[in-house]
This record gives sequence, C-alpha cells and structure tokens, in this order.
Amino acid sequence: MTDEYYPWGGEFTACAVSGCVAVVLLNIQYSPPESVAIYGPLKTENIGIEKIIANTISNPWIRFLVLCGDDIRGHRSGSSLIALHKNGIDHNHRIIQAPGAIPYIENLKEEAIQRFQAQLTVIDLIGEKQKEKIDDIIAECVRKAPPSFGEPYIAIRLKPQATVTLTDNRALHSRILIDYLGKIRKRGT
Amino acid sequence: MFSFTKEQKVFDISGISIGGQPGMYPTVLFGGLFFKGEPDFHDAKQHLQIFYERSKQTGIPVVPDFFIRKIEYIEPILSFIEKVIPKKQPFSIDIIEPSLKIQTLEKLARRELLPRTIYNSIHIGITKEENEALKTYTPEAAIIVAFNPKDKSPDGKIEVLENGAHLLEAGLLKTARDVGIEKLLIDTAALAPGENSGAAIAALPVIKEEYGLPTGCAIHNVVEKSRWLNDFPFAKKTVDVASNNTIPLFGGDYALFGPVENAELVIPLIAWQDILISEYTENYFGISPAASHPRRKLLK
Repeated sequence: MTDEYYPWGGEFTACAVSGCVAVVLLNIQYSPPESVAIYGPLKTENIGIEKIIANTISNPWIRFLVLCGDDIRGHRSGSSLIALHKNGIDHNHRIIQAPGAIPYIENLKEEAIQRFQAQLTVIDLIGEKQKEKIDDIIAECVRKAPPSFGEPYIAIRLKPQATVTLTDNRALHSRILIDYLGKIRKRGT
Repeated sequence: MFSFTKEQKVFDISGISIGGQPGMYPTVLFGGLFFKGEPDFHDAKQHLQIFYERSKQTGIPVVPDFFIRKIEYIEPILSFIEKVIPKKQPFSIDIIEPSLKIQTLEKLARRELLPRTIYNSIHIGITKEENEALKTYTPEAAIIVAFNPKDKSPDGKIEVLENGAHLLEAGLLKTARDVGIEKLLIDTAALAPGENSGAAIAALPVIKEEYGLPTGCAIHNVVEKSRWLNDFPFAKKTVDVASNNTIPLFGGDYALFGPVENAELVIPLIAWQDILISEYTENYFGISPAASHPRRKLLK
C-alpha cells in the first residue's frame, strides 16, 4: 500500500488509506491517531518539503496538512512549507518569502506544486506540542470528511540531463581519465 | 588511490596544513560538538582533551566544530573556545541561521578570534546581509558546501561552485573570494540515502582535479540517515566510524564527524587509512609524507 500511495518513499508512517489528514511533525515526539492518512517528521526545507508534496498529492483523499511541534532551527522547514503553500516558487525555484536557509524546490514540476496548493488546506499548529490539542484539531478535520480530490497525482522526480557516457578508460567520472594504478592522466571532455 | 594533474593547494590554517596530493598531509578531522540539547561544557572539555591527545599521538590534525543553535549560546561557546581550545589552534563554527551567523561573526571579531575561525559554511542560502558581514568580519577560512538542490551529481556540485547553478548571481567560489576569503575548503554535501548519497564521495576526486582545493565532507551524516541501521545498533557505530575512511581513500583532505565522543575511534582509524594511502602514493607517485604524517609518527 505504501508504495502504491506514496511512491516517493521517505520517513513516514502510513495509516488510514482514505484518511483526509497528513501530519507533519516538527521536533515533536507525537503519534497521531490512526484515523490520519500519513504522518512523519520534516527536517529540511528543500528535499524534505518535496517529499511531502509528492507523498500527499499522490493520495487524493488527503485534504488537510497539519503542521505541529517546534519549527526546525535555521532550516525553518515548517514555515517554509507554509510559505510554499501560500506563495509558490519564483523563477529560480525558490519558495517565495520562505524563511529557511536553502528553500528551493528543484525536483517537482510547478504543476505538482499547484496541485498541492489546490488539494490541501494547511493547518498551521507550529509551536503547538500538546497532544490533546493536536488530537482535537485532527478530529475536527476528520469530522469534516471532505471528498476525494479526484485522480491521484503521481509526481515525476525531475532529473538532470545525463551527460556522462562511460567508456573503458574512464573511472568515477567523465571529467577524469585514470589509469589502473590510480594516476590521473588527463581530464575528459 | 589517486594523484591529480591539477596543482593541489595546501592551506595553512592557524598551524594546520590541509590539502595537497593524497599521501602528502594527513587527513584533517573536524569533530562536532553541541549538536543536541544545551551545551554541556564540562563534558565537552573532557572530550576535547581526548580529541587533542589522540591527535598528538597519531599526527592526525583535529579541529573542533562548534554547532551554535541559539543566540543565547553564542557568548558562552565563544568564552569556552577562548578558555579551552589551545591558543593559536583553529576551530570551526557551524551555524544554520543567517542572523545567528552574522551575530557570531561580530562577536568573533570583537574577541579577535577570526584568524583562527573556519566558517562553516557558505552555501547557496547565503543572504545579502551575511555576505556584507563576511566582508566586514572575514574569517581565516571557510567551508563551501556544494549542495545543488536540482542536481546532486558531481556535475551539479561543480555547477553550484562555478556559477551558482543560477540560484545565485555568482558561483560559490567567486562569492567566497569576493568577500575576501582565500582559504576555501570544499564540502561535497553528503545527502541522505536515496538522494544520491554516493555522489559526495565520487565528487571528491572530481572537485580536487577541477579546482585543486582541499575537499571533504560529512559522510557520517549518511549513516545517521540510514534508518535501516537502527535494527543493527551494534553495527551502526562501526559503520558510522568507518564511513569516514571513504574520504581519504577517494582523495579527500578532511572529514567532519560527530559527535566528538567518537574521536577515540575515528582518529586511529584515519591514521591507519592515511598510512595505507601514503605507502602506495609514495611508492607509485613519489609523494613524500609530511613530517607530521602518521606514517612517520607511528611506523618506526
């Protein structure tokens, strides 16, 4: 099930397949109720956010994204995720008005971000660490029981164009020509 | 084991030599402190004693890497550095938040510690304010993290050093040189498994051949992020320590490891690795190890 619904993998726990809530844990030891679809920690303001986007839009039943706990110092990953949902990215793929150190979304198409913005409602509980309060808000979301957003969106991980062609006299990298004893003879083209 | 065609720069950072052809100078080890919780200075002092003792025994140069998480930790950590780190020995400061970096630079300048400071780090998240602060309060050396969010391959890492991967106006090397830092240590940005973690190691010889600058990384972070290893707690420690070996083996000049408690294991391990490399590189490439090299110190 995990592979089918959350193709990008990552550090998360999958619960109710048609649950409508995904929970982002920021510096918090907390296990949400089994009624949520998925939960897991967020650490970085770039690759971590990309995984959350890909792994929520792939399950159209997920309509709420709850962020709780204390934001990650320096990275400000939680606040950067909220900024992404609100503002999107600029022409350099930087999350607009994100407070994190390196808030770039480079491996997702803009279409995937738009889908994320449309499919999910963000519930900002950054700073909240009390289990009961978070449980209550999740329960409220679950009670709303919104419909599925429609078809799953399977985000393609964008890859740089391959430029390396390996041949027998190359080791490690196309830029380095190396002999079998380890002597670098010259740089490749 | 490698020997590069590009001339390899060797920097003297407050008495420590870093860089050069493999086998010439010993691998420099940066040991991380204060990554979790409140800084425990008593504990840190004891660990640093062992850190410097093992360095002296083996010839492996060491640099304490101080992680500063909160504004209220800046002054106590700098006071600790003044008090505990041997005079003239270098240290590095590892800070994520730009505003904290700026405040720390100011305070380092006031305490006249900048000539011993390795700034960890400059990366594509550098802000205008941080850039200005670095011009005013210029540290002795800086670690340049070649993290490129859109291309995690060695080519992507070179792109970010060369032209900023179009995320910055200039490449990271020019950015750092423009603020007045000449002693640049390239960090190949080790990422989690699944994010081309091997590229951090493959990029070591590529970047050294391209720029001739001292190059290394924090490969132990990949071990920390290998969650499957949690099922093998006994092996995890061994893997964590051993991961550092891959850096000198692929031509790298320094490793950032953590926490500093692991020094007891990591330092002799790297000394062993450096001896192995030196035996080959001297025999085949004619690279004589420096007087301080573990091969000279430990093999009598």
